[in-house]
Order: sequence, then C-alpha cells, then structure tokens
Amino acid sequence: MSQDTVVFAARKIVTMNPSRPFATHVAVRDGRIVAVGDEVEIAQFAKGGAFDDRFADKVLLPGFVEGHSHIMEGMMWSLPYVGAGDRRSPEGKLVAGVGSIDAIVARLKEAEAAIGDATTPLFAWGFDPLHIGGRMLTRQDLDRISTTRPVMVIHASFHISNVNTIILEQTELLRATDISGVVAGADGLASGELQGIAARFRVFRALGGNPLSGNLTLADVMRYANSACVQGVTTITDLHNDLVDQTVDLYRTATTQPDFGVRLVPALASVSHSPEQAIAKIAALRESNNDKLHYGIVKLVVDGSIQGFTARLRWPGYHNGAPNGLWYIAPEQLPQLVETYHKAGIQLHIHTNGDEATELALDAIEAAQTAMPRPDHRHTLQHCQMADAAQFRRMKALGVCANLFANHIYYWGDSHYELTMGPERAARLDATGTAQRIGVPFAIHSDAPVTPLAPLFTAWCAVNRVSSSGRKLGSEIEALTIEQALAAVTIGPAHTLKLDGMIGSIECGKYADFAVLEDDPLAVAPDKLKDVAVWGTVVGGKVRKAPRA
Amino acid sequence: MRRAAPIPVTVIGGFLGAGKTTFLNRLLATATARYAVLVNDFGEINVDAALIERHDGTTLSLSNGCVCCSIGSGFLETLGRLLDGGERFERIIIEASGVGDPWRIAEIALVEPDLRLDGVIVLADATRITELIHDRRVGDTVRGQFAKCDVVLLSKSDLADEAALQAARSAIQTVRPDVPIDVLSRDTRPDLLLIARSRRSRFRAEGVEEDSLDHEKNFKRWTYRRDGAFDRSRLARAIEALPPQLLRLKGACRVSGEVASLVFQMVSSDWSLLPATSEDLDPAPIALVGIGTSDLPSDADLEAILDGALARSFVS
Repeated sequence: MSQDTVVFAARKIVTMNPSRPFATHVAVRDGRIVAVGDEVEIAQFAKGGAFDDRFADKVLLPGFVEGHSHIMEGMMWSLPYVGAGDRRSPEGKLVAGVGSIDAIVARLKEAEAAIGDATTPLFAWGFDPLHIGGRMLTRQDLDRISTTRPVMVIHASFHISNVNTIILEQTELLRATDISGVVAGADGLASGELQGIAARFRVFRALGGNPLSGNLTLADVMRYANSACVQGVTTITDLHNDLVDQTVDLYRTATTQPDFGVRLVPALASVSHSPEQAIAKIAALRESNNDKLHYGIVKLVVDGSIQGFTARLRWPGYHNGAPNGLWYIAPEQLPQLVETYHKAGIQLHIHTNGDEATELALDAIEAAQTAMPRPDHRHTLQHCQMADAAQFRRMKALGVCANLFANHIYYWGDSHYELTMGPERAARLDATGTAQRIGVPFAIHSDAPVTPLAPLFTAWCAVNRVSSSGRKLGSEIEALTIEQALAAVTIGPAHTLKLDGMIGSIECGKYADFAVLEDDPLAVAPDKLKDVAVWGTVVGGKVRKAPRA
Repeated sequence: MRRAAPIPVTVIGGFLGAGKTTFLNRLLATATARYAVLVNDFGEINVDAALIERHDGTTLSLSNGCVCCSIGSGFLETLGRLLDGGERFERIIIEASGVGDPWRIAEIALVEPDLRLDGVIVLADATRITELIHDRRVGDTVRGQFAKCDVVLLSKSDLADEAALQAARSAIQTVRPDVPIDVLSRDTRPDLLLIARSRRSRFRAEGVEEDSLDHEKNFKRWTYRRDGAFDRSRLARAIEALPPQLLRLKGACRVSGEVASLVFQMVSSDWSLLPATSEDLDPAPIALVGIGTSDLPSDADLEAILDGALARSFVS
C-alpha cells in the first residue's frame, strides 16, 4: 500500500548524480526517491504543498556505503576500548583515545573496579603500540591493574594481545619463549605479548573462551546498525563470514524488523566451503534477500597484512628485509577457485594486500575471463594496497574494481614508510589517484573494527594522505579531491557491491537513503573533512537521528 | 598436580597435492587405535562407506572408533571442542593447510597440557618437490614446512624414477640436511608409532631456520641419559634444586618400584610423571632433554643434581 509522499527540504542536497549534482528538495514515497530538484520542481509532490523542513539547516548526501567492514564492530563495544585515537561508540558516545601506558592502565583500572567478582577476566581492545610512540605494553604494566585477575588487551590488528603475569602463570607460558609468538621480555621471561595460534589457544582455553568468537547475538547486529547510523552509513558490509545457520537466521530476523536501520551485505567466506558448496549456498541465501539484506558475494583471502609482514610482496620484498609473507590460498589453487566462481556467475571480493598477491589475483581473473568472458563481473580486489600503475591498468582492462584501504595511510603510513615498503613504495600506498586517473571503479574503506567506521574520516584520509605522525604520503599525486573522495564512499562502493542501481546517489527511483550532515563537506577546508558532524541517517525514507550518549 | 595423561598429537604437513588426504584416508581406514583426525576439506575424505557409522556434516564417526572432524575456518574452535567433548582419543592427528606451517600447529601441543606433541610428518610429492622447493612464488612456503618436521615422507614414489627420487631427497636435504626421509609406498600401511620412534628427540626447541640465529643464541639445550632409575622422593628434591634457567625438561625415565617407563615433563617448576604409552618407550632407561636460557649452568652441574636423584642400587 502506498504511503503519502514526503518532501524533505534541506539546506543543500549533494546527489552524486552527475546529471543533477545539487538540489534542495527530495520527494520520498514507499521508501524510494520520487524526484530530486529545487523547491519549484518538487512542490507538486508535496501533499498540500507542505514540506518536511526538519533538515532545513542540514546537508543531505547519499547514505554512505561501507564496502569493507565486519560484524565484529558490533561485538567489540562490550569491552573497554584502549586505542590511541578517539572513537564513537554505537551509542554515539565519543570514547576518548588513551595515548600513553599510564592512561591505558587508568582506564583498565576503572573497568576492573566495575567487575563484581574477583576472577572474571578483563578483556580490552584497540591497542596499537605504534600510536603511543612504539612502547610495548608489558605484563608488568598490566599487573598494575591486577595481579590476581586475568587481564588481556587485544591489539587493533586482532592478531596480537598483551596479558598480565597471572595469565602467563596459569597457562605456563611465562617461560615458554621457545614457542613462536610468545615474545620474550628484557628479563628472558615472556613479556606478555602473545602472537601465535599456540598461545592464543592455550590462553582462551585457560580463560574459558574467547569473548569475540562466541555466537553472534541480535544485540551485536543492532549495535552494528547503530554504529552505522552514528557515522551516516546506510549500507554496510560484513565482508567475511562463514554464514552458519544461526547467523543467517539472525540476519533474516534483524533485517526484516521494520525499523532496522541499515542495509547489510554479507560476503560468504570461501575458506569454510568448497566452491560447489559455496555456490549452492549463495543460491539458497539469495532466496532470503530483502531490501535490507543482500547476499551474493564470496570473499577469498589470498595473503595476510603488510604491517604484520604476512602480505605477499613482489621483488624486492619488505623494505627492512623481513621474509616474504604468507599465502592463505595456494597460488596454484587460486585460478581454479576463481574460474569456478566466475563461471557460476558469482561476484568475488578478493583480499590482496601485497602486490604479489594482487598479481596472482589478476592472473587468475585474466585466465577466467579468457576461459569464459563474462561482462560486468565486477570482481573486486579488497585492500589492494600496494598495486602499482601497471596493475591498475590490468584491472581496468579486465573489468576489475578496487576497494582501497585509505585509513591505512593514517594508521600505519609511518610503519610503511620506515619498515615495510620504504619511502618510494609507501607513496603509492592505496593509490586512489592512480585508480581515478586510469579509470578503475574504486571505493575506499575502513575494515572496521580494525580502523574506525567513519566514511568521512576515510574520505579525509584519501584527500589528505597524512600519517598519524603528520607525514605526507604521495599526496601530490595520489590524493583525491573532496568530490572524488565522497564518491568513493557512496557511488563507488555501491558499484563494487553491484547495488549502484539502487543506492549510492540521490536520484529518482533509488532507495531514499541519506547521510544527514551538519555541514557541507564540499565547503569545508580539506583538512576539516573528518570533523563534519553527522546528524543521522535516512534509510528507506525513515529518519533516524544518531544517538549521542 | 597430576593431570590425565596428555593425548599424543601428530601433525601432517605438506604442500597442496603432496598426498596428505590419501595418507589420512589410509590412516583412517586401517586404524588400530582410536584416532581423532582434523582435516581441512571434508569433501576429500573417502573412506569405505561400510566404515561410516554417523555423518553429521562436520564430524564423521567410524566403526573402528575413529572420528574425522572438518576444520572449516575455525581450527582452534574445532580443536577446543574436541578436547572439551569428553570423548577420549588415543591420538589426535591434525592436517595442516597446504600453504600452512605445520610447526605452528605443533606448538599448540607443546603448550597445551592436555596434549603432547608426538611428531610432525611432512609429505612431499616425489615428482614435484624439487621444482616446488625452488619455485618463485611458493618456494619459501614449501621450504618453511620442512624447517621443524621430524620426518619427511615421499609420496607418489611409484610415479618417480630412481633419479627423481634422489633429486627429491637432495632438494629436501638442502633445506634440512638432518631430517630422516622415507619413501611412502602405496601398499604399506602408515605406522605412526614407527614414525614417532624414528624421531631423534621428542622435544625439539632448537631452531633450524636461517632466521633463528637469535633464537639459538638465546637458548641452550641439555641432554641427560642414564642407565638406572630415579628414586621418586629424591627426584622431587632434585627438581627443587634445578636452577631457574632450566625452562623445560622432558623425556622418558624409569622410577624404582615401577615396572614400566614413565614420561617426565617439567615446565618452569611444575612437573609430572605419567604412565608412558607404548610409543614413549626409549631404549635408554632415563633419557631427558632440557632447554634453558643461554646462562644455563654447565652440563656437569646439572648432571650432578639429577644424579643425586638416582636410586642407590643403581649407583655403582
């Protein structure tokens, strides 16, 4: 049944539709956009000539599309945050960063005091030594919080943790520094930093489980949706998920609630299925697609991370001489996988951090395209952080999209300059300018919760290309204009998700999904882009003011 | 504190196509003990349908008492569920990923008290390994898999002539000059007990990778072998006298009054003496291997402490 048309009058509407880039009024009916224009053009759609002018002093953009993030963002916030940068919680609370060991200890003492009993482990997340001057968090630091209660701090990368002495004693890891990943301190005993799977297994078994690997709950999904609203995001991905039955049920339940505030695009993890299983599963999952739930893509992970030295790099490898990284899919297996999915009509999102992994993925796609040309496949390289111009030209020729990890420039740019890639290659890290010039369809992303979910911050990173220490990385040649960066968080990612016919711009026929901003991002100084405040979102015509706690 | 005897763990590594699945299929079909086998790709497991008692999508239960679990993407969760499941297995066999490092998995058995590392077996396709070891893209991955294994088994040997087999051996020996290399023939039943016995030492903490020089520098090994038996109460006192620089001590020993050999394990100051399973038997009545920090006291000092724990009747 049709609802009445509502006409929103705004200070300004930035549509991202090149044929009508700016407007002031948008008419919405049945969750979709009827018309966009100025007051005179839209007046006929307003019932009784009345406008909804609650956005009279706001600026509307297409709802932001986060093309690479994870549902874990919705799970983290049950634990205290100890990263160096400010983050906004799903409740809209600005959680201040803690920029020193003392500040981390103080925050954890506070959290410790709030736990009723004496034995429940205290977990925290978001730590990164790079952002507190490279200082490691030691077991002695964490012993200041408690010598009797287990305390564990999970790094921003999620691959490393620091624990206090009681955990090392309970797990007998204090002297186990012959185990890889049990890092030795100055005294020869374990420092408390744990990296490998052996230590992780031992610790989580001893502590009674990993707080982040339990079953997903409806509350987690709702927190994820709230985080999206707080950041102006109206379509969000969950870009690597086994999609077990319980998760599938939960996503169906959540997205069919009439007030669910975000469109969700999960990607099926290839690693947990054979291609035949995955193809059949995707076909079945598509049956449960609805306007807020979009199954269809499969994720492949080819290598690791650059800052973890597990990304696969072409010659001459890591700047500091570290050995080359890890393959997560065997190079001879990737072409078979890609071809099987390609022939089945599945869109692939392929994680390649290092340029050797990117090369392998492009080889595989080229072979699949040769075996069976498939128009508009839109296979997308995710992260694709070290691709050079030649690789972007291959992407263009093969019809491949890229989703570049712009936030890395700020968070790990210094590490890439000094250790992993060296000055020259660090300048082409996440080469948005090259992608733009060559004409590869591209997006930029946060990989939340690895870095904060905040598309305006991500856009700021691509516009300013400045590291956390203030170092500019290839800004003369790779920086985007604000317009280009806004496209890379709206219509760009919509294209990589094959949803650009319905989202990503404000134009007739699309979903009425808007980011509601307090200011015009096109009118602020480029270095202030991240500071433009988000008022909330409109999703399918439903207005939601972001919570502010 | 005396815990239930830890379950021996065998890790099966080897690059994609090395024949791990075939090997595991044969192990499962011919098992004489209750194995729990963790595999990467369930679809490839192919045991006689008559053997299968139950198949619930992630676990295959066989009539010979073995189970086979699919790892999927959650290896640690799968292993944790297996240990917490209450079913007691005589051995856990874990298939490492074709591009993974089997030693990373083996280390779990070194730190988890419910487990005991019994061996890392790496399979290598006799017809391809020479080329793979030098491959531009995967050579480093393949070489890394051999770095800490206990034995290499050459598979598909019937497809390789003698020259190819010799080339395969030489290629592997350039990475690991010391590693035993056996040929896996099509019609012999894989015998994990024999493979375990072929290992030179049950406890390997020394590094063999090029990048482990620092590691070597920081640690010192100590081996203690005697023909006698320990006296239990003297042993308890002797252990208290061992210097803190000795981080671990592990191996088989006889204790006076006990008929069978026991397995001794010490990590920091915690130690245990547990009944040995048959494959723990070592020709020497007492054979312990220790690892300590670089400032570990001399072998003679350490030997003096443990010699004090020997039962009198054995001291001549």
